[in-house]
Amino acid sequence: MELKTLLIISVSAIFINNFIFSRFLGLCPYIGVSKALDSAVGMGMAVIFVMTLASSVAWVVDHFLLEPTTSNLFYHLLRLKTPPDLVFLKTIAFILVIASLVQFVEMVIQKTSPALYKALGIYLPLITTNCAILGVTLLNLDMGLNFIGSVVQGFTSGLGFTLALVLMASIRERLELADVPRPMRGIPIAFIMAGLMAIAFLGFSGLKIR
Amino acid sequence: MSVGKEFTKGLYAENPVFKQALGLCPTLAVSNSVRNAVGMGLAMTFVLVLSNIIVSLIRRFVPRKIRIPIYIVVIATFVTIVDLVMAGFAPDLHKALGIFVPLIVVNCIILGRAEAFAGRNSVFRSLLDGLGMGFGFSLALFVLAFIREILGDGRLYGFPLLGPGFEPMLIMILPPGAFLTIGLLMGLMNWLDKRRCS
Amino acid sequence: MKDVLRMAWILGVVTVLAAAVLGAVNHVAKPRIEEQRRLALEQALLSALPKADPRAIVPVYEGDEIVYYKGYAQPDTTGLVGYAFVARGAGYSSEIETLVGVDTTGQIIGLKILREVETPGLGTKIEEVRYGEKDPWFQRQFIGKRARQLAVDKDGGEIVSVTGATISSRAVTNSIRKGLEELEKRLGGFSKTAQQVSD
Repeated sequence: MELKTLLIISVSAIFINNFIFSRFLGLCPYIGVSKALDSAVGMGMAVIFVMTLASSVAWVVDHFLLEPTTSNLFYHLLRLKTPPDLVFLKTIAFILVIASLVQFVEMVIQKTSPALYKALGIYLPLITTNCAILGVTLLNLDMGLNFIGSVVQGFTSGLGFTLALVLMASIRERLELADVPRPMRGIPIAFIMAGLMAIAFLGFSGLKIR
Repeated sequence: MSVGKEFTKGLYAENPVFKQALGLCPTLAVSNSVRNAVGMGLAMTFVLVLSNIIVSLIRRFVPRKIRIPIYIVVIATFVTIVDLVMAGFAPDLHKALGIFVPLIVVNCIILGRAEAFAGRNSVFRSLLDGLGMGFGFSLALFVLAFIREILGDGRLYGFPLLGPGFEPMLIMILPPGAFLTIGLLMGLMNWLDKRRCS
Repeated sequence: MKDVLRMAWILGVVTVLAAAVLGAVNHVAKPRIEEQRRLALEQALLSALPKADPRAIVPVYEGDEIVYYKGYAQPDTTGLVGYAFVARGAGYSSEIETLVGVDTTGQIIGLKILREVETPGLGTKIEEVRYGEKDPWFQRQFIGKRARQLAVDKDGGEIVSVTGATISSRAVTNSIRKGLEELEKRLGGFSKTAQQVSD
C-alpha cells in the first residue's frame, strides 16, 4: 500500500472517524474506565496492543482460511475443486481469535514482564467484549484492506480510542469538583461531555454544521 | 420473583440501556433513524431470547471454567444466523446497520444475561428474561431514534412529518446528538425516580 | 492436564457443532443473498439505462472483470441504446459506488448509487429525495451532462454539491468523470452527435 493511503487511513482513524466520537465503538469501557487518568492510560495501552495484534491475526485468518481464493488453506489441504467460501464464519472466527489472543497475551505478559502485567493486567479480561476490537477487524474486512493496511488501521484506531479516553478522563477528574445538578451526576454528565467533544471532533472533518 | 416480573423488569426497572448502561455502542450508532432502531431491536431480541434458551438448556453440562467461551460461541452462532437471514431478506436494513449486526456478539447485554441469569435459571424464566431485556433494549433504541429522527431530519420512519418548512437540527442526527440525547434522557430518569421516591 | 484436554475437546465439539449449523443456514440463505444482489444490480442497470430491454443488458469482460455493460433496445440485442459502468470514488467515510448509464454519444442518461455509507444526514443526502419529489435532486443534475461538464461548483463546475458534504459530492462527481473518460478510451471514442458532426 502507498504511504499516502496509509496516512489517510491513520488520520481518518484517529480524528475523522474516531472510534468513540464518530463510530460509537468501545463505549462501555469509555464510560466505565474514564474516571481516573492513570486507569484510562492503562486501558488505552492495552487496547492499542490487542487491536494491532488482532488486526494482523484476523487478516491472516480471513485470508488463509475464510476467503474463497487460491490462497485458502482448506483448498490445498482437502484438495477441493474450487476454493471454499467461508466468509460467513467471520464473526465466530474473529471473536474466537480475539478471545484466545487476549488469554495468550495475558499469559505471556505475566511470565515475561511483571511490570507490564501490573499495568495492563486488570484491563485485559475486559477487552474480549470490547466491541472496538471486533469492530476494527470487521471494518478492515469491509474496507478490503491488505495486511499492512489492516495493521495500520488497527494501531491508529487504538490511538484514537486512547486519545478519546485520556481526554475524557482528564475532564472527568476536574468534573469531580464541579457542582453538577444531582440527577445529572455520573454517567449522564459523562455523555453530555462526550457529546460536546464529539462536536469538537466534527471539526476535523471540515464539515459545516448548519 | 414472580414469573411476570422476569419479563417486565427489563422494560424499565432494569432497562439494559438506561439503567445498566450496557449495549451502548449499537444504541447510539443506529438510533439515527427509527427504521434502523426497530431492525436492530428485533435482531437483538431474537439473539437474546435464543441464546438465553440454549444457555439455560446446557447450563448443567458446561464446565465452569470454559463457560464464557462456550456462551460466546452460542451467541456468535445466532448472530451469524441473523446476519445471513437479514442479508437475504432485508438487504437495505442489512446495509444500513453495517458492522453493527455482527457486533451484536460483543454486546455486553447478551453475555451479561447469559452469565448472570440464563446460566442459573430455568428455560422458561430465561426465555422471559431474554424477551424482557430485548424489548427493554428495543424500547430504549426506539425512544432515542424517535427524538433524533424527528428533530434531526423532520421525519419519522422515513416519512416527512414536520413538512418542508421545518429546518432540521442536523446535529441531532450526527454522532454528538446521540450522546447529548442519551445523557439528557438518563438525567431525566434519575430526576423522575427521585421525585417518585420522595 | 487431563482436565485441560477434556475442556479443549468440549470447546472443540461446540465450535464444530456451531459451524455445522451455520453451514446449513448459509447453504439455505446464500442463493437468496445472491438473488438479492442480482436483483439490486438489475434494478440499478434499468435506472441507468431506462430505454434498454431488461433482458438485453450484457456485461463486457476484460479478463474476469466486468468493465462495462452494453444495453440494447430489443431483446435480440439489436439497437444499441448505450453503456453502463460502475464508478468508484473514495467518499468521506466509505467508498461510493455509482452505476452510470450513458447513451452512445457519451451523454449521461441515468444513474443509481449502489453503495455508500456516508455520514447520516450529510453525506447520505446524495441520495435525498426532496419533499414532494420523486427522484434524488443531487443525482438528477447529472442527466444530460458529458464528461467535461462534470465538476462540483466549488471546483468551478456545474454540479451543485450537497451542503456540508462537499467530499461526498466531489467523490461521486469525479469518479463518474473518470469512469466516463475510461469508457471513452475503451470504446475508442463515443459516436458523434448531429451537432458535433455539423461543426
